[in-house]
Amino acid sequence: MNRALGIGLTALLGLLAFVVPLLTPEPNATDYGAKLAAPSWAHLFGTDQAGRDVLARIAAGTWVSLGTALLVAAITFAVGLVVGLLAAVAGGAVDAVISRVIDVTLAVPQLVLALAIVGVLGPGHANLVLAMSVAGWAHLARFARAFAARQTERPFVLASRMAGVGRWRSAARHVMPATATGVLSVATLHIGEIVLSLAGLSFLGLGVSPPTAEWGQMVAEARGYVDRAPWLVIAPAVVLLISVAAASLLGDAVQDKGKR
Amino acid sequence: MLTLFVGAVVVWSLQLVAPGDPARRVLGALGFANPSDDQIAATRHELGVDMPAPQRFLQWLLDAMTGGFGTSWRTGRPVTNELADRLPATLRLAAVALLFALVLAIPLALIAARWRGRAPDLGARAVMFLGAATPSFVVGTVVLELIVLRGGMGRVLADGSWGGAVLPAIPLALGAGAGWARVLRTSLVEVSDASFIQVSQARGATALRRLLVHAVPSALPALLAAIGLTVGSLLAGAAVVETVFTWPGIGRYLIEAIGARDVPVVQATVLLGVLGYVVVSTIVDGVTIAITGKAKR
Repeated sequence: MNRALGIGLTALLGLLAFVVPLLTPEPNATDYGAKLAAPSWAHLFGTDQAGRDVLARIAAGTWVSLGTALLVAAITFAVGLVVGLLAAVAGGAVDAVISRVIDVTLAVPQLVLALAIVGVLGPGHANLVLAMSVAGWAHLARFARAFAARQTERPFVLASRMAGVGRWRSAARHVMPATATGVLSVATLHIGEIVLSLAGLSFLGLGVSPPTAEWGQMVAEARGYVDRAPWLVIAPAVVLLISVAAASLLGDAVQDKGKR
Repeated sequence: MLTLFVGAVVVWSLQLVAPGDPARRVLGALGFANPSDDQIAATRHELGVDMPAPQRFLQWLLDAMTGGFGTSWRTGRPVTNELADRLPATLRLAAVALLFALVLAIPLALIAARWRGRAPDLGARAVMFLGAATPSFVVGTVVLELIVLRGGMGRVLADGSWGGAVLPAIPLALGAGAGWARVLRTSLVEVSDASFIQVSQARGATALRRLLVHAVPSALPALLAAIGLTVGSLLAGAAVVETVFTWPGIGRYLIEAIGARDVPVVQATVLLGVLGYVVVSTIVDGVTIAITGKAKR
């Protein structure tokens, strides 16, 4: 039931990203004759203060907002998995160094670290991705390390080692797949959080620069028009809500699959 | 203490990878569009950036421990004074938000746990999800635009006073409170399956008594832990809400500093955030130990 809902919401977002742009006007095409128009058949979600089609901008924003979140999730997943596995399999000095780096990174709260990095490197889309990735990989790495360490001690892995399979080969063939599934479920659950953080930072003007459509930034631009054109805030809020719900439902589904 | 030191190292090291010459930026802020080489060299010396990095770090750390964070590249004022001006406003906002969040979280979790699996639980969980998944900037914008500007209810008191903190605290409290309610509910539900609660039920205790007298004390550590973790994101949350409400606190100051690439201010603010996180974690640990009579780990 939850899984079906998660897949349904994801499909909805996919529709928004791939199909809707074909049916709507250019997201940055202005039409000052029709600014702040209420939702109608011509503009399903209405238009903004520059007469731009809100649905088109929401759809274009999917690529920026969700795309960036998925990119950050993918980077943190890959880095976390590799670093965690490396620590668990190599052990010894490598493990000690990696564990210490993880501890250091986790000592600073994630969003605060991200803000610090953006603060020093300067605002911008690439810097935001870097900041969120640097701030986010450590807890996945810690999880991967713990998961892989447990996995290494399971009978079938020990059996493969005793049968003469090398340490790294055994790690790649037997430890990695289960660890990847475990880390994936955690990473998926965090996508919602990443989406919200990115939207918040973009709202503050630390992400993409206008006129690029981004959900958080759309809300920022809508300030001052909320009473006359509530759809300017409602539309981005609803897609953000859908994204968070989809990520959390899918994360649960991946987790259940991993348990079975 | 170690966390704080490590945080300081991380925060400070970031500036080594920052692009651009700080001397040029400082001179630019003072109105010199095309500074001469002499001016740049003099400013570099003044900022201390001509010293080797480890020496600069030690100097900065010593200054920071005695409460000095250098001068703002943007305004030329000591960063410590600027932060001291803004800290009370943020602390007031945080205190009001904390109160609101607890007022929201505790009844919500109790209702959900008392009628587990039934309509009130589903309703409460829907509220928890909506609260946690709605970004604070959306709530903040709507509260500001609709209640204050259009409805005329409550004036915008962006003066950092207690009364003015009520409205900006709403978006902060909603997100945090919803998250805490979720943790407390899960914890209450887990505890209510424990054998001592079942014994109490067998002895004829009412559902309400079982919940309040037996389940709540056991579930409190989980709530405290959640509160401790949330404080880490509070600085970022405060940055958003303070920007929306033009609240004169350190969150908005941080965002302004980021916009102007005012590195000393960013460093000091972030370090203050880490300090707050460490202090609150220590308090949470202390209270948890006091409640449960033993350390968490």
